[in-house]
Order: sequence, then C-alpha cells, then structure tokens
Amino acid sequence: MADQISPAHADLWVRGFAAAITDADDHLTDLDRRSGDGDFGTNMVTGLRRSLTALPERPDSPGAPFQALSDTFLSHSGGTSGPLFGMWFRDFAKAGNGTPAMTLAGVAEAAERGWATVTRLGAAKVGDRTMVDAIAPAAESLKRSAAEGRSLAEGLREAAEAAEAGAEGTSELLGRKGRTSYVGDAALGAPDPGAVAIGLFFRAAHASVTQEADEAR
Amino acid sequence: MRRQFVNDPGDVVPEALEGFAAAWPRHVRWNREPSYVVRAEPAPDKVAVLSGGGSGHEPLHVGFVGRGMLDAAVPGAVFASPTAMQIRAASLAADTGRGVLHVVKNYTGDVLNFRIAGELLADEGVHSDIALVDDDLATETDDADGPGRRGTAAVVAVEKVCGAAAERGADLSELVKLGRRVVAGSRTLSVALAAGAHPGQSRPSFDLPEDQVEFGVGIHGERARERRAFGPRRELVADMAAPLLRDLDLGRGERVAVIVNGLGATHDLELYGVFGEVKALLEGAGIEVARSLVGSYVTSLDMAGCSVTLVRADDEFLDLWDAPVSTPALTW
Repeated sequence: MADQISPAHADLWVRGFAAAITDADDHLTDLDRRSGDGDFGTNMVTGLRRSLTALPERPDSPGAPFQALSDTFLSHSGGTSGPLFGMWFRDFAKAGNGTPAMTLAGVAEAAERGWATVTRLGAAKVGDRTMVDAIAPAAESLKRSAAEGRSLAEGLREAAEAAEAGAEGTSELLGRKGRTSYVGDAALGAPDPGAVAIGLFFRAAHASVTQEADEAR
Repeated sequence: MRRQFVNDPGDVVPEALEGFAAAWPRHVRWNREPSYVVRAEPAPDKVAVLSGGGSGHEPLHVGFVGRGMLDAAVPGAVFASPTAMQIRAASLAADTGRGVLHVVKNYTGDVLNFRIAGELLADEGVHSDIALVDDDLATETDDADGPGRRGTAAVVAVEKVCGAAAERGADLSELVKLGRRVVAGSRTLSVALAAGAHPGQSRPSFDLPEDQVEFGVGIHGERARERRAFGPRRELVADMAAPLLRDLDLGRGERVAVIVNGLGATHDLELYGVFGEVKALLEGAGIEVARSLVGSYVTSLDMAGCSVTLVRADDEFLDLWDAPVSTPALTW
C-alpha cells in the first residue's frame, strides 16, 4: 500500500477514472437526460478518450497525467461542464507538477484549490445541484484526514465515500445553475451526473494506491 | 426541404474559415489548430482586441479582424463557444505585451471559456480583461442570479469603438471602461420571420406559423419567449423600437447610433426599409440618428428576420465610430 502518490500512481488514477466513466457512460447519459441535455456522458467519454492518447508514456511527476487531462479538456470542450472539469484537473496538475510524489496533504490542497476554482468560475455553491456538491465534502474530508495523520489509502477512501454521499444527496436538490436550472423538479430523484463523476474520480484515486503501481503497467 | 451548399456538415466551419482566409489574404491569416484568425500584419504596439463565439453568426467575428477593429477572432463550432485553449492561443498570438481585451457576448459557455482563458493567460503573465456585451432587451429579467441579458448586435459597436481606441493607444483598463459604457447605453430587439437550419439539416430549428413572428428571438435558433401577430413593417418596427427607447430612457435632443441587422436571410431591400422606419420614429421622438449601420453583420445561420440596436452616442463614441477601419466586413 503506497503512502504517497508517485507518477505511476497518478497515471493509474487517471486511467482508472477514464475506465470508470466509460463503464458508467450510459448511466451518466441517462442521469443527464433527466437533468440537462443528455450529452454529459458522451462528452466526458470523448474527452477522456482523447486524454488517454495524450498521457505521457513515462510521467516525470504525479502532476503530468493530470496536466494532460486538463489540457485536453480545455482544448476540446466548448461547453460548460467540460471546461470546469478541465480546471478541476488543472489544480491536481499544479499540486503534482515538479514534485516526485504527492502526499495526502497535497491531494487535500489540490481538492481545496479545485473547489475554489470551480466555485469561482462556475458560480455554483453547495446545494446548487452541481459537481460542487461532491467536491466540497470530499475536500473537507481530505483536509480532516490529512490533519489527523490518516494513511493515504484511508484518506482517499473516506474522500470517495464523502463525494459519493454528496453526489447521492443531489437527488433531492433543485438545479440552479447550468442547463439543469431549466428543467425544474423533473430532475428530482436522480443525482447530478457531474457530482457522480467526482465520486468516480476519488474512487479511482483510492483504487490506484491500493494496488501495486508497477503491476498494472 | 431546404437545400445548402454543403459537403460534410462537420467540415462546414473549417472549410469556411479556409475560404475566408484565402479570400482576404491581405487582411487576415487563419491558424488551423487551434483555430483562430489574426491580422495578416499584426499591429506592433497596442492593446490587442479579441473577440470570439460560436460560428453561424458570420461575418461576426472573423469579418471584423483588421486595422481599426479586432486583432484576433476565435470561432467555435456552430453556436458553440470556442474552447479556453483556442482563446488562450489567439490571445498569445495577438498580445504585444500591453494586454488583451476580450469582447465577450453574454452566454454561459462563452463567458466561462473566456474567464478560464483569462486565468490561463494570467499564469503566463499576460494581462487580459473582459468587456461583456449584454444588450438583448428580450432577455431582461429581475433574477440577479440568472444568466442576464444575452449579447447580440451591439457587439459590433463595441468592437468598432474599442478597436479604434486601442489603435490610438488606449490602455486595457480604459478599453474595458469604454466597452462597458457603450454596452450600458445599448439595447437590441430581434424579430424572426423564419428559423434558420443547421448545416446539413433540411429542417429549420423551429416552425413558425405564417401569421406569426418570433418576437425577441435570440441568435442561436432557440425560440423567443413570445410570439406576436405578423403584420406590416411599420407595425413590427414600432413594436421593436418603442421598448428600446423606453429602456434606454432616451430623451429629446439625445443622439444614437442605429444598427439594423439582418439575421441571415433577410434582404437589404427590407433592412433599409426597416432603417427608414426606425429613423422616422426616433426623429418623431426628438432623437437624433447620429450614425447608422445597415446590413447583415450578426446572423443566425439563414434565419429570416432582423434586429434593431440603439446605441447612446456622445462625442467620444462618434469620434471613435468614425475612425478609419479596414476589415473584410466593415471598411471606411
């Protein structure tokens, strides 16, 4: 079990996230049909597929895979959720660039910065039925775990659980931002697909550090 | 069934840009990947003025790249915002070290991607700021949390006067202030007689009964909030002009610039008729039409219809409006 995120772990994290989103494509698309315009799953899958081809063969820092992810999303997504994910990944790139490995505190800082970035740019707060509803509890959980000196795997597992619970909670929320604000209570009962994707992001983080980084390569 | 000159609908935008650049080699150069248009001869030392948005509104914005107006334009896919990386690349290409003004029409995707581009540029030490254009009176609401008024044809006035001021050496903060002042004094209303069709599609984006018009229509093929009875031009134009006068609170003796803009498939014969009607109405209200622009500048594919924009005009505005401009779509 790794206690830091190496470049190889970051690579596994990003690839695991891409695989999870691809597996969940139909589900995410269905969720988005209920709350937006139904293109969320497809756009994420397309963005991630492009990103995979841009991933560095041998990342020199844990920031490098996130940088490739961010650059690809910001280069090819002209809508709103794609660019916001691009900026979310970018804060993980910034935290991991130029360092040999990321600690739990580093991940916590990236999540907190990403939370601020997405809030600033998307003008969405907790309770608006967006990805922020999964980001906020995950970032808070990471900060707490880092302060309490939890292990990397434990901290990431709890962050994933917090994000998933936050995403599930959006089922009860009325959308106030983006396309979901146009559909009113038609979206009630289904979680926001962006928030669900954040849950998958942290679940992939946890999975990446619980397997031996070398054996999956 | 509507027929179009199209090969593969997916290639319409890059093929048009390739043709556009080939047709105006002394004015512009097109960078294919990432896609943006810059002046053929970059200006050496001035704040760069850049705009962008979805395609399908031609000649906006690429047609306004040239001396006296834009330094660069960033086209997205049809009715879709350009990406942040496109905007970043175009800004870096146009920047001379004095910063970049982004003229942005108020749509969620455009605003987000320009703001992201601004943050990417800041990380590289390039200063940029946004002049937000939100002139569409039809989308006025009381909801402070909502997206606000859309940006439409007033963007041409903002690009013209900010472009002229930049050419004269104005700095970035002055240009932002100027742009915001022009926008604050601008309102537009648009009426559609028939919707446009996306490239490769034979059906328009909405159907309109022959006895109705879409009143307060946007430029992205979406329906308006309101349908009204079709009628003679003088009635339609009076319905468009009166709310603009009211909202801008224009009083006797004030001056305006008038933009009568075709939405894509409306002939100049009709547009000049509309302009004559607007001018008579304004003069009847004691308002001087100091400048005018009539033609198809901000289109919505092949939508039939027009927009009327009033821009409050002071001496500074008129001086900048009259400054020389040499672009594919606007020259004087």
